[in-house]
Amino acid sequence: MEVLLGITGKDFTIVAASKAAMRGATILKASDDKTRALNSTSLMAFSGEAGDTVQFAEYIQANIQLYSMRNSMELSPTATANFVRGELARALRSRRPYTVNLILGGYDKIADKPTLYWIDYLASLAPVPYAAHGYAQYYCLSILDKHHHPDIDFEQGMKLLRMCTQELKRRLPIDFKGVVVKVITKDGIREQEYEDDVKVAIP
Amino acid sequence: MSRRYDSRTTIFSPEGRLYQVEYALEAISHAGTALGILAQDGIVLAAERKVTSKLLEQDTSAEKLYILNDNMICAVAGMTADANILINFARQAAQRYLLIYNEDIPCEQLVRRLSDLKQGYTQRGGLRPFGVSFIYAGWDPQLNFQLYQSNPSGNYGGWKATSVGANNASAQSLLKQDYKEDCNLKEACGLAVKVLSKTMDSTKLSSEKIEFATIGRNKNGKIYHHLWGADEIDALLKEHGLAKPEDTEMTE
Amino acid sequence: MASGYDRALSVFSPDGHVFQVEYALEAVKRGTCAVAVKGSDVVVLGCEKRSAMKLQDTRITPSKICLVDTHVALAFAGLNADARILVDKARLEAQSHRLTVEDPVSIEYITKYVAGVQQRYTQSGGVRPFGISTLIVGFDPNDKTPRLYQTEPSGIYSAWKANAIGRSSKTVREFLERNHKDNMDREETIKLTVKSLLEVVQTGAKNIEIAIMAPGKLIEMLPVEDIEKYVESINTEKQEEAASRRPGRTPGTGTAAILTRGPGEGTGS
Repeated sequence: MEVLLGITGKDFTIVAASKAAMRGATILKASDDKTRALNSTSLMAFSGEAGDTVQFAEYIQANIQLYSMRNSMELSPTATANFVRGELARALRSRRPYTVNLILGGYDKIADKPTLYWIDYLASLAPVPYAAHGYAQYYCLSILDKHHHPDIDFEQGMKLLRMCTQELKRRLPIDFKGVVVKVITKDGIREQEYEDDVKVAIP
Repeated sequence: MSRRYDSRTTIFSPEGRLYQVEYALEAISHAGTALGILAQDGIVLAAERKVTSKLLEQDTSAEKLYILNDNMICAVAGMTADANILINFARQAAQRYLLIYNEDIPCEQLVRRLSDLKQGYTQRGGLRPFGVSFIYAGWDPQLNFQLYQSNPSGNYGGWKATSVGANNASAQSLLKQDYKEDCNLKEACGLAVKVLSKTMDSTKLSSEKIEFATIGRNKNGKIYHHLWGADEIDALLKEHGLAKPEDTEMTE
Repeated sequence: MASGYDRALSVFSPDGHVFQVEYALEAVKRGTCAVAVKGSDVVVLGCEKRSAMKLQDTRITPSKICLVDTHVALAFAGLNADARILVDKARLEAQSHRLTVEDPVSIEYITKYVAGVQQRYTQSGGVRPFGISTLIVGFDPNDKTPRLYQTEPSGIYSAWKANAIGRSSKTVREFLERNHKDNMDREETIKLTVKSLLEVVQTGAKNIEIAIMAPGKLIEMLPVEDIEKYVESINTEKQEEAASRRPGRTPGTGTAAILTRGPGEGTGS
């Protein structure tokens, strides 16, 4: 029941990840952060097999950081996405593949455009305007299909995210304890305050 | 006396010098001149080809200018056999980067890969250093057009105009004299032939004796690189009054 | 005659020298000068910079000051290409350390690592030592104490309050020994760094590079205009000092007092 969401707009990318750390049907923690900043313009959100996710995310994080230090420049979000995909594909064909699903939000400073990539544990990669992983796909993609537009501003983007989380709250049988929201713009990555306990009317 | 520090592998001399590297540099200073000039809208590379026999096929591909990847070319001075190894390595490195990141390798990184390899041969393995210097011309979205030079020690640097090989001191001072920061590619080509005509042994230039390549941006903004054909070189020489038949006048 | 004992890459000679290591130190002395000075809450790196030739592209000419991690800076003297390889190894170790223990490296740890690599190259088959000395500075994670270490081609490392490596480093070190005070603030530390470099750099600000590290902050490269200001104020200070000392003394001793350099030392080889 992990939720990953990504929405791009005119000059930003929003990434949201559920705060519940679960094992089976048990919630172990309600303040989990399933995201890692890779550099100043790329953020990765992950879900999947408990140990794999953090292990893989931090491995990627270290490598992207190493790239920044070695080359005194940051890897673009597109290059980052391809690197991540490559690593997943390599692991997939090894003895111990990672079972992780990813959403990679970024901001391309050269093209001056927000970017969003959807990557699953079989190492398929797709650039998308909005993305969801897990059960969130069933509930949110239809909402996003209907309401998303590439030129939306940040307020509209947050409104859209609110619609998605409301719907998830209404329909998912297990509480996912709200979401951590991160925003990537040309100025970098920041955490966005997000009110989780908004009442939802259930029919 | 210095013989004791210069015969086998690369080791320090008592003054802290690496003779093998210095000798490699010496070897390069006898090779044909190569030069590169950075312009606003592109880069030109030019090199002197030493024709040893009339029987050599002239129309075959370049021997001093090579394409490394879609947005980088280079000129070599020194031992061509060594250069082939390094160029092969560079091409592989560029493709490996493309495979991993799905983006072309930034120019400086490719230059550094090659320079790191060259450095390795000055420190380990018991092999002699590579006897080649390179001039690289490339483009990447971060820094646009860039011109680099690297040498057998594994050092590299960025330049606006530079030369290697025989007579490189005089070529360098000619470049210093006549280089203009805001020149365009056409003017840079003019400067390149002018410098070559003055530094080469023969006053008569022809497409047999020089090689030319440019990297630039075409009308729809895409980067192109181009190794010039014989007719294009001859046309350029003619335009600057340096072509073989009219060798009596050396006007600019 | 050391016949033969300096040829095989690194073996002892009968009188106990490892010549290749000693010769590597000579390579260091041929490199441009680098200085590091600790203040009370900053540490400053200064480098002599070869003047850029007219045709050099300054955007893409590599610098002598490099970052190993966001909180560790390194300056070197010696062979540039060797330094690139060594710094690259250190950068890899810094990130690998972050990955395995979830903490950035401490300055001493990374110094030990760099020195360890340098040592290995004095004792392995078929390799020559690194022809560089390094100054490693920075702040440990969650700590406000400035750190400064030096490493040498032999693999020796040591902690310093202020130190210099490279060309004329002896002159600069002696200058620092005379002028370093504990608990200097940021301004004083930068000034002392610039002043000590001016001992060997005659051409002023355009041949000096200054980097400042402060706890929890990113490295700050001082712009040329700012270095210029320091150089100017140092020069006027020197002149004032000279002017105030001249009267009442014999000309001979007067000049001696202005000289910041010890007697009998040249301005650099």
